Amino acid sequence: MPDMRFAPPNPIRIADRSSGMNAVSVRSYNERLVLSLLLQTKGMSRMDIGKKTGLSAQTVSVIVRSLEQEGLIAKGEAQKGRMGPPTIPLSLKPSGAYAVGISLGHRQTDVVLIDFVGQVKAHKTLPALEPSEPTNHSVLVETVRQAMEALPKKEIDRIAGVGLALPEDSHELALGPAGMAGRYGTISQEIEEALGIEIYVHNDITAAAAGESMFGAAKSMDDYLFFYLGARLHHRLVLNHQIFQSSVQTSNPVGLLSLEEHLQAHGQAGDALWNRSSDCPDFGGLTSHWIDRCVLELSSSLSSASQFLPLSTAIVSSSAPREICAELASALEKMHPGVSVIAGELHSSPKAVGAASLPFSSKFVVES
Amino acid sequence: MKTVLCFGDSNTYGQVPGGTPLERFTPEARWPGVLRHELGVGWYVLEEGLSGRTTVHNDPIEGDLKNGRTYLRPCLMSHAPIDLVILMLGTNDLKARFGQPASEVAMGIGCLIHDIKELASGPSGKIPEILVVAPPPMLDDIGEWQGIFAYAQPKSHQLAHDFEVVADSLEVHFFDAGTVITSDPADGFHLSKDAHETLGKCLAQEIEAIGWGD
Repeated sequence: MPDMRFAPPNPIRIADRSSGMNAVSVRSYNERLVLSLLLQTKGMSRMDIGKKTGLSAQTVSVIVRSLEQEGLIAKGEAQKGRMGPPTIPLSLKPSGAYAVGISLGHRQTDVVLIDFVGQVKAHKTLPALEPSEPTNHSVLVETVRQAMEALPKKEIDRIAGVGLALPEDSHELALGPAGMAGRYGTISQEIEEALGIEIYVHNDITAAAAGESMFGAAKSMDDYLFFYLGARLHHRLVLNHQIFQSSVQTSNPVGLLSLEEHLQAHGQAGDALWNRSSDCPDFGGLTSHWIDRCVLELSSSLSSASQFLPLSTAIVSSSAPREICAELASALEKMHPGVSVIAGELHSSPKAVGAASLPFSSKFVVES
Repeated sequence: MKTVLCFGDSNTYGQVPGGTPLERFTPEARWPGVLRHELGVGWYVLEEGLSGRTTVHNDPIEGDLKNGRTYLRPCLMSHAPIDLVILMLGTNDLKARFGQPASEVAMGIGCLIHDIKELASGPSGKIPEILVVAPPPMLDDIGEWQGIFAYAQPKSHQLAHDFEVVADSLEVHFFDAGTVITSDPADGFHLSKDAHETLGKCLAQEIEAIGWGD
């Protein structure tokens, strides 16, 4: 029997890697460990990575070299230390991978294309489906195709997949045209067949929480209570990065829909409430009553959850303009000394960005 | 204090391009000397460069003493404990007398890595860190050396890839010197003073990037 130490070396690891052909394939556990760290913190040195992962310096060296050649990570400017040669920070390369996220709602459908560090490269909003229309899936498929083709040709292969955020809350589903919920079931298959790309489907609120966790306000946080202000008010508990969703989870009616109705009753249009990136118009004190009611609900959920575990952080994410989240967050924080309440930081539709984070989680991140 | 052993051939020894082994750059100018200066007082830099050294071959012409494998073990033992071994070899294996493809030269490097791991001459009997450095490719014009190095140039361009495959599969550090320096036109395969300077600085960064804690 030959001495296996001197068998031909296994070239699989680096086969084709400089072409980037396999860049967005599912990664090994150790590679995921390194990528997860860099998703959370940019500019880490190889030593930092070794310390945090417990991997040996030589293993980190091999993984970093491989991820670098595949274009998933990049070296930054060397940083001059107090002594010795400069250290080199490593970060994810924004153009290393992309993902499409779709959020379906009764009011509108959002389609985003994000890069590896969560920057939105394209965003399109489709109007709500008229009850008489049988489907808008072909329009949706075409929008997704256009979002993908907005990338330079050689980068299209770097799209890790499409994430789909689906509402499951019975009250919100009831807001859409009859039969809408039933049609959601076939969308992922339609997109997969039309575009030949992997689809990841998730609950929409959980997706929004995943988006804030990977790219937004919760990036560096382990445990927190997550609120999502949509048509209704939703919440999720996040422990050690894991988002818990109960099958009996209910939403609260103090959502954007109730605010919009209140505004309309006073002769104001509420369209801006649904556009995350719009400037919030001055509603002249009309919102304060609603804000008070909403904060009471947030506070009550926070108090209930605090009965069971020590929570020091809550996040208020929404598709509404940032000012509204910020106002809720600061009011809630006043009622709960010792709890830091942070407004969501994603620039466009958190559900859609969160949906787009799903292919990244699946391929590049370790399960915590 | 940490110890790094620079184990190589004439390009670690610091032979002047176009010269003989008697013509050598000064200690400060050779890349291990540049490394010593860059790394500072926390490091002890050992130079072990020999002109004509191969990875694992007894040279039928220059003699058995050019075999890197037989010298590496006593060398490691003489300098233990060692924190880091830098291996920069391979060019001499491309001499026509050995008739080796680049992949076999890489296997020779792999063999040295196995020996270093087996001997475990690091602190407290641990395996030292190992950094494989692929030499820059030879130039097309190597003058009167063409006979000795017949058919060597195309292979010299494959060394970096094949060394990296071995470094990856054996999980050791790797650096392709060809990404930062070229061979000197005076003979087509030795390194100029500037190249030594650049290489020393780049390797210091590579060493720092390994991360050493306290």
